Amino acid sequence: MLFSRGFYRIRRTTLNRRCQWLLSFRRDHQQLICPTYCPSPMVSAEKALGCRENYSWGSCAFHGFGRQIHHQSNSVMEEQLDPFSLVENELSVLANRLRSMVVAEVPDLASAAEYFFKMGVEGKRFRPTVLLLMATALNVPIPVSASNGMVDALPTELRRRQQCIAEITEMIHVASLLHDDVLDDADTRRGIGSLNFVMGNKSAVLAGDFLLSRACVALASLKNTEVVSLLAIVVEHLVTGEIMQTTTTSEQRCSMEYYMQKTYYKTASLISNSCKAIALLAGKTAEVSSLAYEYGKNLGLAYQLVDDVLDFTGTSTSLGKGSLSDIRHGIITAPILYAMEEFPQLCEVVDRGFDNPADVNLALDYLGKSRGIQRARELAAKHAGLASAAIDSLPESDDKDVLKSRRALVDLTHRVITRTK
Amino acid sequence: MLFSRGFSRISRTGSSRGRCLFSILREQHQLAPSNHFHSPRDSSEMALGCRENYSWGSCAFNGFGRQIHYQSSSIVEEQLDPFSLVENELSMLANRLRSMVVAEVPKLASAAEYLFKMGVEGKRFRPTVLLLLATALNVRIPGPASDGVIDSLPMELRKRQQRIAEITEMIHVASLLHDDVLDDADTRRGIGSLNFVMGNKIAVLAGDFLLSRACGALASLKNTEVVSLLATAVEHLVTGETMQMTTASEQRCSMEYYMQKTYYKTASLISNSCKAVAVLAGQTTEVSMLAYEYGKNLGLAYQLIDDVLDFTGTSTTLGKGSLSDIRHGIITAPLLYAMEEFPQLHAVCDRGLKNSADVDLALGYLGKSHGIQRSRELAAKHANLASAAIDSLPENDDEDVQRSRRALVDLTQIVITRSK
Repeated sequence: MLFSRGFYRIRRTTLNRRCQWLLSFRRDHQQLICPTYCPSPMVSAEKALGCRENYSWGSCAFHGFGRQIHHQSNSVMEEQLDPFSLVENELSVLANRLRSMVVAEVPDLASAAEYFFKMGVEGKRFRPTVLLLMATALNVPIPVSASNGMVDALPTELRRRQQCIAEITEMIHVASLLHDDVLDDADTRRGIGSLNFVMGNKSAVLAGDFLLSRACVALASLKNTEVVSLLAIVVEHLVTGEIMQTTTTSEQRCSMEYYMQKTYYKTASLISNSCKAIALLAGKTAEVSSLAYEYGKNLGLAYQLVDDVLDFTGTSTSLGKGSLSDIRHGIITAPILYAMEEFPQLCEVVDRGFDNPADVNLALDYLGKSRGIQRARELAAKHAGLASAAIDSLPESDDKDVLKSRRALVDLTHRVITRTK
Repeated sequence: MLFSRGFSRISRTGSSRGRCLFSILREQHQLAPSNHFHSPRDSSEMALGCRENYSWGSCAFNGFGRQIHYQSSSIVEEQLDPFSLVENELSMLANRLRSMVVAEVPKLASAAEYLFKMGVEGKRFRPTVLLLLATALNVRIPGPASDGVIDSLPMELRKRQQRIAEITEMIHVASLLHDDVLDDADTRRGIGSLNFVMGNKIAVLAGDFLLSRACGALASLKNTEVVSLLATAVEHLVTGETMQMTTASEQRCSMEYYMQKTYYKTASLISNSCKAVAVLAGQTTEVSMLAYEYGKNLGLAYQLIDDVLDFTGTSTTLGKGSLSDIRHGIITAPLLYAMEEFPQLHAVCDRGLKNSADVDLALGYLGKSHGIQRSRELAAKHANLASAAIDSLPENDDEDVQRSRRALVDLTQIVITRSK
């Protein structure tokens, strides 16, 4: 899936580029001290610069990631920084609640279920960030924090419900990660520490079920059947996407349409439908809910497309510096699919599978000669543009926080495509 | 879980577990579609003539004998008719269920449909109970036997209640798929288990898919209390499985823990869906609770007898059963009771019952104890509580209502008097 998945794979296999970006990206924009509005650009810049070394939002193993500063101009910097601080405290509260929601009585289950929610391993919490920003952007007031940084009295009932969507989304996401990683018997028989491995499989299944059941109950508590419907569809899509990825025919593997459909199911559906759920809970019109959905969907697609590109290009724009993890796992992504359109011979190479490194090099060769990378980036940019446009189409508002959040959401669409890691 | 689980154990271990309702329902099944039987002789004839055949799904377990449970000849026809009342509905339900789990991706489609295929639907005990309960709560059955004018409103309600039955089956099958992965099971309902045939991952994902379809169907009912009830049931299934898989030694010897686990794993789904049927019918809280109590006690009674039969099999003596539970290290009610009388049994159980000498030792203690009787007594107690719940329902003169209520009461007796 998205971010946490990549995080997990890093632990398990070797470096996988998926999802690294947001981590470094978050660090740049993080303020160490609790959220306060920064009235003067200079103060905020200082704070930003001074704080870039540290961040309180979970520790992270990825210290090696450089710190790239994305901001369009100085004058706009504080606006870009503040909105994230708007959700920072909320996110901590959310994280704590999530941790308590997945506490299980049984030790084995507990450690599996909590694995992805532990301090430091929460992942980048990209989805909750987007969802909370979306909630604000749709003019639902955020809980006001007092100057001492403490979160004030209870958020509105509605805000609380929207936070619940964010929690549910994370639970579903993690459950799907756990289930996606269940392997088949064949692998256990190849001698991977049998009992441990089997217990790992079982724990993974049980823990995933546990998280799903908690998500179901939390969903039911929202007493909104349309929202239940949306998130049920998400689970269905996640499953469908995973199966599409693991069981492709040769023809499907070379189809851009199939790939985009799979990418929607695996990556974009969760964020798009939960954005829509946020809007529905807020009682927004069908039109506005649709815009929220379109934002999430296009953001997710753009993200994945750039992720695909970076898997080839890594930290430079030249080929082959990336981790090449996708191609080595036989996962054919957008750049290669585009290259195949220009060089049909590449289809044959792809069909052979990529067990042989010579084939990998051959494919990279074709890719280099083709416009595959550029076209993938262009497609990503197109989707980012669509996401941005969705936000711009939201009903006008004068509220400062609303505007700030909307700017942040638009900002995200740029970052998603300009990141280089 | 419930029946299907025991049912699956037969295929897996080759023994007689999970007998239950299937053979019983076969006996009492009538082939012909729902008709009201006016003369006792007609119905007896039909009953006797039809006992050999049944249209309610084909089944691999033809080897089950046919034991006839009815209290006296004079009430045979009352006992037989109610099942025929739901027979047609069940076929429709099965077809609808099959269409509800269709998926786009071929591999997912075959996985999701796997346990809904013709011939492997299982005994559909839950849907039977739910449909009978719907009638018992005075919701008119849509039927050609009535005056021909079908009110749309009761029809709509009946459809929604049928949907509960479909959702319940989806949730149940999803849990079976996952349980088989957890147990490394090879077979289920007489065929290779899905995990065995298509691998663990597909089985897990198919279970998730069914669950998501169930949630979607739940949402379509637009009743948040019902959504809540069944979401709770899902959580309980997982909790129960967790409790069973990972018990500490102390917990494994506790009757309280065992009953709690049994409620979660077996009774919660049926009790909460019974309640949902009542809620959909707009019944009072009191009536909804009675429906809940019926389901809960029926489920508990069933499981307790299932536990006993695992030891006794088809005779009342020990050791003729499949002994599947004890061999898997699952400590059930009879043993728990025996432990109260013979504390030494604790030590034996703690050792894990992995070697057959220990199993024999445990059986020895069990034989000397009142474990079997006490379990039967507890089952009877729950069966009576279930019965009482039906009897406490608001009075109703309608023939169909009364027939369904009698059928539900009958079920409570069948559950505890069965010997397989």
